Amino acid sequence: MSQFRYISPKTKEEVLKILEEEKSEACIVAGGSNVLPYIRDKIIPPKLLLDISGIEELNYIKKNGSNWRIGATTTISDLISSKIIREECNILCQAAEQFADPLVRNKATIGGNLADASPAADTAPPLLALDAGLEVESKGKKREIFLKDFFLGPRKTALQDDEMITGINFKSDSLNKPGCFIKLGLRQAMAISVVTVAMVLEIEENRVKDIRVAMGSVAPIPLRLFNAEEFLKNKHLNDDLIEEAKNKVYEEVNPISDIRASAEYRCYISGILFKRALEKLTNQTS
Amino acid sequence: MMEEYPIELTINGEKIVSTAKAEESLLRFLRRHGFYEVKGGCEKGDCGTCTVIMNGKAIKSCITLAGQANGKEILTVRGLEKEESGRKLQESFVQHGAIQCGFCTAGMLMTAKAYLDENHQPNKVEIRKAISGNLCRCTGYKKIVEAIYAVAEENQKSK
Repeated sequence: MSQFRYISPKTKEEVLKILEEEKSEACIVAGGSNVLPYIRDKIIPPKLLLDISGIEELNYIKKNGSNWRIGATTTISDLISSKIIREECNILCQAAEQFADPLVRNKATIGGNLADASPAADTAPPLLALDAGLEVESKGKKREIFLKDFFLGPRKTALQDDEMITGINFKSDSLNKPGCFIKLGLRQAMAISVVTVAMVLEIEENRVKDIRVAMGSVAPIPLRLFNAEEFLKNKHLNDDLIEEAKNKVYEEVNPISDIRASAEYRCYISGILFKRALEKLTNQTS
Repeated sequence: MMEEYPIELTINGEKIVSTAKAEESLLRFLRRHGFYEVKGGCEKGDCGTCTVIMNGKAIKSCITLAGQANGKEILTVRGLEKEESGRKLQESFVQHGAIQCGFCTAGMLMTAKAYLDENHQPNKVEIRKAISGNLCRCTGYKKIVEAIYAVAEENQKSK
């Protein structure tokens, strides 16, 4: 019978070398908040547990001009306590503050939340709305995957067996400043979302100059709502238009029923949250 | 890459040198080494009764690999009495009747301790948010919040 093995490398290079050798036999552990329950529920068969939580070089939040880079093992608590995230990328701060609970946030990492590829991952919608890219590395090779292309299905990603997420990057522009994240859960804390929405919006002369919207828990993957975005661009926002845009949202979402909510309810709520996000941002920007 | 690997950590000030199984959680490791005051509840990161403080931060030991505590300092509820801030919290929980069945108490105290160490003037809403990862099914949280708030207030006065 095969058994679990454990290793905790101290550098990224070591991790990449082990991934090259072990490929799908390795399971990267960062925060552990998903992996340990998976082990317990036997969702993960015995593998090499590759603990990257001690790799300091992957824990950073950097802003250079308008270019942001966040290291994969940056914890959700790190995001909340970062002054620069709070002041200049508040949408991510809002999502971090509604992420699970304070104890889980002390361990859970941004890279892990994305790699887990849950449709309900709370950091995914804001990062989708920020047009984020993932820095992905394997031994001797680097590539970038746009987050919108990264999720392939529940728990399925575009990562190869020998690859790991090393960082997340995005550009901040005027569009990214007023952003909002709204999470509807069944309780105020420790909630897996029923529906989430993340939105950034730029209004110029009363018209929607640019908008990016993403939602969680409404499809097999965290979803960018390109059609609703296109529909609103260059239009003057009013109640009728918002109602029409909600119909675009209903067309794009494709939720399932589970213990938290029915598909019908999720669909209905996605329109409501979309409208709330728009109203919140237009009140802020006007 | 071992099924069992060496591990060295400090628990309540005491150095422990041992081995851990690859997939062993910190919770199981602690209990295997006699730290039975760390309680196992849901063992999937939901209930918070297994909360310990690792290098100053409150974490759920059931969703932490034992190896992730290698070289770290762990404080469990048994270690609380060694520190004044810990003793104050314990006494306040007793005085405010913040304990009924006791399921959440060990974890609740650890979360409160780590929180008050970093936040000196919390209001009651902030305390509620701080303990939102620890489930209590008896007290309705009110008495727990009051107990933690009383310690925060007292700390302010004594400054």
